[in-house]
Amino acid sequence: MNGTSLALAGFRGTADKQKKLIIAFLLIVFLFVLGQVTVSNFMSFAQVLLTIKLASFIALFGLCQMIVMAGGAAGLDLSVGYTATLTAVLTASIMDGQNANLWIAILVAVGIGLVIGAANGFLSAYVKLPPLIVTMSMSLIVQGGINVYTAGADITGKPSPVLQTLAAKSTGVFPNILFVLLIVTPVVMIVLSRTRWGLALFGAGTNETAAFLGGVDVKRVRFASFVISGLLASLIGLLLLGNMGLAFKDMGSNYVMPSIAAAVVGGVSMTGGEGNYFGVILGAIFLQTLTNLLVAIGWGDAGKWLGFGIVLFTLLIVYVSDRRVR
Amino acid sequence: MGTLRKFLAKPEFSILLILAAMLVLAAVLQRNFFEAKSLGRTLNAFTPLILLAMGQAVVIISGGLDLSAGSALSLLTCVLTSVMHKASPETGAYAIAAALAVAIAMGIVNGIGMGYLRIPSVIATFATSYIWLGAALFLRPTPGGESVAWFKLFYDVKGYAKAPPALKACAVFVPPALVLVLIGCLFWLFISRTRTGRYIYAVGSNNTSAYESGIDTAMIQLRACVINSVFIFLAALFFVGQNQSGDARMGDPLTLRAIAAAVVGGIALAGGRGSVFFALIGALILSLVNKIIFFANIPYPYQTLVSGVIVIGAIASSLAYTFYSRKSMTRRGKLA
Repeated sequence: MNGTSLALAGFRGTADKQKKLIIAFLLIVFLFVLGQVTVSNFMSFAQVLLTIKLASFIALFGLCQMIVMAGGAAGLDLSVGYTATLTAVLTASIMDGQNANLWIAILVAVGIGLVIGAANGFLSAYVKLPPLIVTMSMSLIVQGGINVYTAGADITGKPSPVLQTLAAKSTGVFPNILFVLLIVTPVVMIVLSRTRWGLALFGAGTNETAAFLGGVDVKRVRFASFVISGLLASLIGLLLLGNMGLAFKDMGSNYVMPSIAAAVVGGVSMTGGEGNYFGVILGAIFLQTLTNLLVAIGWGDAGKWLGFGIVLFTLLIVYVSDRRVR
Repeated sequence: MGTLRKFLAKPEFSILLILAAMLVLAAVLQRNFFEAKSLGRTLNAFTPLILLAMGQAVVIISGGLDLSAGSALSLLTCVLTSVMHKASPETGAYAIAAALAVAIAMGIVNGIGMGYLRIPSVIATFATSYIWLGAALFLRPTPGGESVAWFKLFYDVKGYAKAPPALKACAVFVPPALVLVLIGCLFWLFISRTRTGRYIYAVGSNNTSAYESGIDTAMIQLRACVINSVFIFLAALFFVGQNQSGDARMGDPLTLRAIAAAVVGGIALAGGRGSVFFALIGALILSLVNKIIFFANIPYPYQTLVSGVIVIGAIASSLAYTFYSRKSMTRRGKLA
């Protein structure tokens, strides 16, 4: 293959990746237009900003999913929402509304995230159990831990003011969580596309054997992806607590399915090796807009889950289904 | 001697050994465990898991995994209780027909997803599980609904006053729960004798070579999903008979436990190996463990935690067991 065709192939590859981003963007536009036609005041400035604020949390959880998915081997992390809840429930009483206690809360959050992530990573990467089953059982265990804690003591305490400012308040018209996302996004993009570890992760997802032969410790890379996912989920739990102002038993579990759907809508490959965090953010905005629309029509919870399920299944057909003629 | 040793080396033997140990332990903890009355109650508590585990086993053997089984069960209970009206007994028959149709439709959707579209089964059924959940919530936002009186026959014959005396006499020896499990067993016994039954194993152990030897692999995977649906349907009949109501979220915790039960019963998650009847034994073991936990006086809040640890422990340990036994077997082969 000569240089020109190689460059052309590379260009085709990027064009293909952009296509998924464009599809995600068009889906969002479509929903807003649909919303504007059926529901009055759907596309007002305030409404759009609120949508983006709510979508930010889905996008943050989506980051966890993207990292474990990128490593391949059907990676998914269903325990993120439960990890976040556990952290929020435990740190609420530690912080008790004091900024001075924030660093203890962060240490606790890091500890929780590392332990859960390491357990997930060990069982998925080294014992080679399906990640979905591992993280599903982990959710059960963490939920059990939360039940034990809340049965013994009431959930008390408040987030520290710093967290509340970061997650719930706005600067001017823009919600602060948007700035968190604006800082996180470039960091993620640099880590995943410019560092050795990021390349190893995507390499392991694209072609496990090739990565292994190229000197990548595939197991360790996948293990690390689960540890990072757990760590991030735990820290997101702090932000979630800051946003809600108090902790409750299932504050995080409702984010699990949307985070996976957001990653898939955003073009993260379920078979690994491909993903762009910008796409995940678009996916999160799409899902939040869809939720708003369904709630506005009055379909509520049932419509939300039905809609998410259908969207995810349809996109799986479009992106994942293997239609090679054999 | 040789055949005995061969039998002892099989994983089936250790599974039966574990079952025996669990039975002994349960009998020690609960004095009246083996009395007919309490045995019937125990079986009633175990039935939904047994049926789901057997259905799940069929899908796993065919090389897939069904994460939507629990939500499918919930949706079927909602369908049953939405169609039925307490006042008119004949609606029960319509409800059964409607639920069976919905069950088969769900199996076909899952089967098309993993068979024809070749989406990895885990994520395909993860997506469909939310479709079933959404549909169930549409029918029944909160648990409830009505059921005709004769539906109690699926749970407890004595609970239905107008049951024919002959049926009541039979039920003393064979409770309805056992009948449902037997129907499931006979159903699989029939399927396993057909070409479909053998092809399910072939497709599960190596999809490509099965395809290359002329098997319509997508169709076989679809049939495995539909067979699973029939087992879920039987479990739904039992559940509605027991509770006389539908609940859009009742099945969720059962999905993972059914998978764990199948794995404990020696069904390889990679597909192609294991026996559906041993999934039944796996479900018995897992349920007995839960019963033992209950009798060990572990406080209620700890039970989710403990059962989560047990599920993952059971899956991990049985995988480790098959791994090491295969290793030791090859070593023995080398020595011989």
